[in-house]
Amino acid sequence: MVKSSLQSRLTSTLFVLPYLLSFCAFLLIPILYGIYISFHNFELLSDTHKFVGFDNYVKIFTPGSYLFEQFTTGLWNTVQFVLYSVPLLVVLGLALALLLNQLPKRIRGLFRTFYFMPYAISGSVMAVIWLMMFDTNAGFLNGLLAKLHIDPVAWLTDLPWVWVSLVLTTLWWTIGFNMIIFTNALNEVPEDYYEAASIDGANAWKRFVSITLPSIRPVMLFIIITSTIASFNVYAQPFLLTRGGPGDSTKVLLMNVLDEAFKGKQVGSASAMAILMALIIIIVSAVQYKIAYGRKE
Amino acid sequence: MKKTLLVLVAVIIAVIFLLPLIWMLSTSFKNDFEALAGQMSLIPKKPTFENYLDGLKGNLMNVPITRWISNSLFVGAAGTAIVLLFSSMAAYALARLQDLPFKKLMFPMFIGSMMIPGVLTFLPMYMEFNALGWINTYAALILPYSSGAFGVFLLFQFFTAFPKEIEEAARIDGANKWQIYSRILLPASVSIMVTLAIFTFMGIYNDFVWPLYSTTSPEMRTITAGIAMMAQGSYTQAYGKLMSMTVIATLPVFIIFIVGQRSFVKAITQAGVK
Repeated sequence: MVKSSLQSRLTSTLFVLPYLLSFCAFLLIPILYGIYISFHNFELLSDTHKFVGFDNYVKIFTPGSYLFEQFTTGLWNTVQFVLYSVPLLVVLGLALALLLNQLPKRIRGLFRTFYFMPYAISGSVMAVIWLMMFDTNAGFLNGLLAKLHIDPVAWLTDLPWVWVSLVLTTLWWTIGFNMIIFTNALNEVPEDYYEAASIDGANAWKRFVSITLPSIRPVMLFIIITSTIASFNVYAQPFLLTRGGPGDSTKVLLMNVLDEAFKGKQVGSASAMAILMALIIIIVSAVQYKIAYGRKE
Repeated sequence: MKKTLLVLVAVIIAVIFLLPLIWMLSTSFKNDFEALAGQMSLIPKKPTFENYLDGLKGNLMNVPITRWISNSLFVGAAGTAIVLLFSSMAAYALARLQDLPFKKLMFPMFIGSMMIPGVLTFLPMYMEFNALGWINTYAALILPYSSGAFGVFLLFQFFTAFPKEIEEAARIDGANKWQIYSRILLPASVSIMVTLAIFTFMGIYNDFVWPLYSTTSPEMRTITAGIAMMAQGSYTQAYGKLMSMTVIATLPVFIIFIVGQRSFVKAITQAGVK
């Protein structure tokens, strides 16, 4: 083969060029620009931006400072949400997939559609639907409780109900995704594994523990990691449903980052918070990945 | 016996999943009084189309709903078209063009970018568009979505698996790269392109956070950002009216979802294979 001509290499480059430009303009440059901003006293409405070095980061790590409070309470609220939601998203997602697989074939598709439908709607639509469902006076849930002679619950304004509401809406909205991935994995476990185990006299639970779980392990880890990342990025639910309340108890980190930038107009410190938040997400997923795959079997 | 019990459980869960959606539909036909009365009437006592008619006439809570929905459909369609074009061209070059410079550098960079949390780019992207004077324009609503690498990743896998012989034969017949891409690879990848289109359209159409911050005037809002705006405002308890808006907002995605569910499922399971 002769070495391809300059012109040929140029044509090849032209094919990647549109995407490459977009990649640079809306991903690479923003990331670098964000780092630049985080080293400046960058006010949203001002034109002069003073270089302040690591000041924004130092403030975030200085106990007692405003930024420290914003970052740590936001982070703690986010972590709480992750801890409450991820186990349920994984376990119930798998449970739904197992249930689906046990149903007669001709109704399986229908039920899959039912469980998966909420995933197709927008976060803002989801939030408005649940604002109505959770409404203290006119809401569906309290109406149901009244029928059972149970006192109304302040779903969106009282602890610990705010967390219950946020987790419930999250499950309703996103669990279909996990279910689909699990269903796909379950279908790929070879049928004859189960047959062999049945002949050996293994009961359903034993077959689940010794065949199903090990076979779907990689997918399980994928789900744990993606659910953790998604829950770390939670925004629509607390932003629109509880508005971070009561007090600041459900105000998650992403809300604090955007408020610092758009309400406080301090884009510099907000960017520093955003970068730290991104680092935490990347580190947590890397650790999960390491625990999952680093262990020798 | 065991089967009937399972079906029963499945039905109960289905009711739980569908109830909020059915309640949304039912409430959208109630007047504000009935919607707020806390009565548990699934069928509205006095069904009314007023919420919808007012919405279409533009005097529902003084917001331009028809404009919002048009914005959403336009932004979704334009964004999807750009993603399809850019990703398929890039994926073709990365998968089939041996003499593409820096291939070994670009491919891992693109794929790795899918791991980057959105929070890292959100603020600086806003500042970038602000500096360009592009806040509150369609460019701001459309362009950011074109940098996603998922389409490149999906199509790369497809193009890599495409038989070499057909391409060889075309080249011997004198076809150039552009002709091979547009006349051979694209027509052969209609189904995967539809999958990517559905996935991309739903993603753009449903995103409300970026449009909420990157638009400033009412007529530039997308329907999802508009609804988020209303949910924060003073109309939060006008449930009859709000629900007619959410029904309108949800209709396009539900139609696409029901029709294209197989494709949509394929796209997300593809993502899960990584």
